[in-house]
Amino acid sequence: MNLRSTLAGMDRRLVLGGGLVLGSLAFTAGPVTPAIAAPAPLAWTPRALSLQQAQVLDAAAELIIPETDTPGARRAGVPQFVDRALADYYPPPERQRIARGLDQLDADARAAHGAGFAALNTEQQTAILNRHDAAEAAAGPGFFAALRDMVTTGYFTSEPGATLALRYDPVPGEYRACVPLSEIGRAWATS
Amino acid sequence: MAYLNTRARGSTGFDAIVVGSGISGGWAAKELTEKGLRTLVLERGRMLRHPEDYTTALKPPWEERYPRGRLPRAELDAHYKVQSRTGYTITESTAHLFVRDDQHPYNETQPYTWVRGYQVGGRSLMWARQSYRHSDLDFEGNAREGVGVDWPIRYADLAPWYDYVERFAGVSGQKEGLATLPDGIFQPPMDMNCVEKAFKAATESRYPERRVTIGRVANLTAPTDEQLALGRGKCQNRNLCMRGCPFGAYFSSNSATLVAAERTGNLTIRPNSIVASLIYDEKAGRATGVRVVDAITREELEFHAEVIFLCASSNATAAIMLNSTSRRFPNGMGNDSDQLGRNLMDQHSRVGASADVPGYLDTYYSGRRPNGLYIPRFRNLGDRATARTDYLRGFGYQGGAARLGWERSLPGEGFAAARKAEGPSGFGAERKAALSQPGAWSMRLNGYGEILPHPDNRVTLNRDVLDPYGLPTLTFDARLRENDRAMRKDMQVAAAEMLEAAGFKNIQTFDNPYAPGMAIHEMGAARMGRDPKTSVLNAHNQVHACRNVYVTDGAAMTSASAVNPSLTYMALTARAVAHAVEARRRGEL
Repeated sequence: MNLRSTLAGMDRRLVLGGGLVLGSLAFTAGPVTPAIAAPAPLAWTPRALSLQQAQVLDAAAELIIPETDTPGARRAGVPQFVDRALADYYPPPERQRIARGLDQLDADARAAHGAGFAALNTEQQTAILNRHDAAEAAAGPGFFAALRDMVTTGYFTSEPGATLALRYDPVPGEYRACVPLSEIGRAWATS
Repeated sequence: MAYLNTRARGSTGFDAIVVGSGISGGWAAKELTEKGLRTLVLERGRMLRHPEDYTTALKPPWEERYPRGRLPRAELDAHYKVQSRTGYTITESTAHLFVRDDQHPYNETQPYTWVRGYQVGGRSLMWARQSYRHSDLDFEGNAREGVGVDWPIRYADLAPWYDYVERFAGVSGQKEGLATLPDGIFQPPMDMNCVEKAFKAATESRYPERRVTIGRVANLTAPTDEQLALGRGKCQNRNLCMRGCPFGAYFSSNSATLVAAERTGNLTIRPNSIVASLIYDEKAGRATGVRVVDAITREELEFHAEVIFLCASSNATAAIMLNSTSRRFPNGMGNDSDQLGRNLMDQHSRVGASADVPGYLDTYYSGRRPNGLYIPRFRNLGDRATARTDYLRGFGYQGGAARLGWERSLPGEGFAAARKAEGPSGFGAERKAALSQPGAWSMRLNGYGEILPHPDNRVTLNRDVLDPYGLPTLTFDARLRENDRAMRKDMQVAAAEMLEAAGFKNIQTFDNPYAPGMAIHEMGAARMGRDPKTSVLNAHNQVHACRNVYVTDGAAMTSASAVNPSLTYMALTARAVAHAVEARRRGEL
């Protein structure tokens, strides 16, 4: 339980970034220490998704928009955004499509690695998402494209996304019509 | 607007009544009160105070409840089924300024999109602020071509009033010296971006009859002392105007005319007051007041005054007049001509072309200009070179160039709506970095065109279907006709050829589903004219047969023009009030 609480208190990025370590712990520890194998608990309660689906979403969102020199999807609260949008905005068929897709990611993970998607390391997770991305590139947009659009929307309209990844100016004052892009550096968050 | 008397009850203590508080009603209130008339403004919607009731004006994107601030389809279908047809008006941050369709029903024999804002300030809060003068090309068109009836006024009659309202309202724009788009009293123009400047140069060199100018927009770029004294300030380039401007930088009744009216001490404004009809005194041959249903208590009240200004918007004003039957006017107030409710006009919208713009990748802009380009009418100007054989009148374009943001990764999004998702594919850090940079430039031209008046494009009163207040509903039966359809074709072609001449790529024309009303420029239901037998109003916006009733909203329009109409409503209103005050002084009302 000490390890678990330590993990829970750690920066989630470090936990996943050290996925290999976690993964090996999980696999070697086996059923005796299930608390270690489970992904760190979510800091929020999903409304549209099951807890398990939300954990898959949490991991997948961070792969779609990872932390770089700016925050990633997780620190921007994007998983919560997607869950809230599924609960309040999208019609039931879309909610079901995303939920089923997240279940599929989990099933893919168990089939390939014997553990849920959220417990895999980054390389394993990336490989699974790549397979869905490639399949939809051939067959047409499906669950993964929809998830990617939701995550992208959630990220770039979040406060970290809009103010750090993009540039946000609530009260520009002046309009300057022709400015070197280098002076602005990034895309504007709002038009 | 902190000291308005909102408790006025039935009373005879008023010199003037103004029905409606939008663009026209606000102007009527200002002019009447400044000329010393104790004036009652009746607004059917709620009180909305400047600026404290602009509840969404400062909301950042991350405080929106729904993705990109769009309302769920189920909510749109339940409450905004009609108005959401426009695609852009009803959002999480603006829906509270539009009526709920389910609470304010009307009937469509043919599709008619009636977009309404019931609150103090009306749609002056959400208008697009584009402000252009009509020219004699507009005022003489009907007579020259034998369409409808002749306007009873010409540009010279209205020019000083355009000056007057522009000076007060504040219009930013560029003088161009064009007969077809008369210059006005302008505050400094907004600037064009690099791509727009290149487009202007290419268009004007290839098409000498076409001019590309910056939009003339009622946003302050250099506020006058008079505007500053009203508490108004300079435009901050936020481009969130439709939510209400906390800086008072764009013209609305709430930021400008009602503030001026209130300061006279002569203004009483009563919200939640639905005017059902005018009260007509058969013996005196004049209107003596209005009947009101209180929207909250459902009480029926009467208010009386010597002069009445109807400024409820074209269709609502027609409804009040049609519902005002008497022995003298069995078919509605002033309806001797049977033209009341006919000749409904809107303007073409949702038609034009877009293109991708190669290059300019090292240039960008800073600030969000709440305005675009304007290309004034260049067809059928009276000379052989611009004459069309396939239709009468013409159109202008509004548009502009911009760089796409991260939204380009979404399907069917972006500045050119027809495009497929073009963001980097895959997922991960590289894609995130790419979407954090602006995308390519694109340009769009949206046509706004003149629709001809037609007597069978009409709105009638339906006494069998009542609204929740027990009042008759309106039934719309209007459609595009041959001239209108031919113009829409040319509006696509002419836009595409300019984009092509500028060297732009992937040019796509569009003609999105349009039904009358979608431009939200509805007009014509009680037209002005020279002859009481064929028109409802005279040259001073007086009802021909009931001289103490004036109509100065869109209903008065004899033809539609291609330019946005609100500035003309302002000028007509100020001019009509001057006439009314003088006529009253002479005892002629």
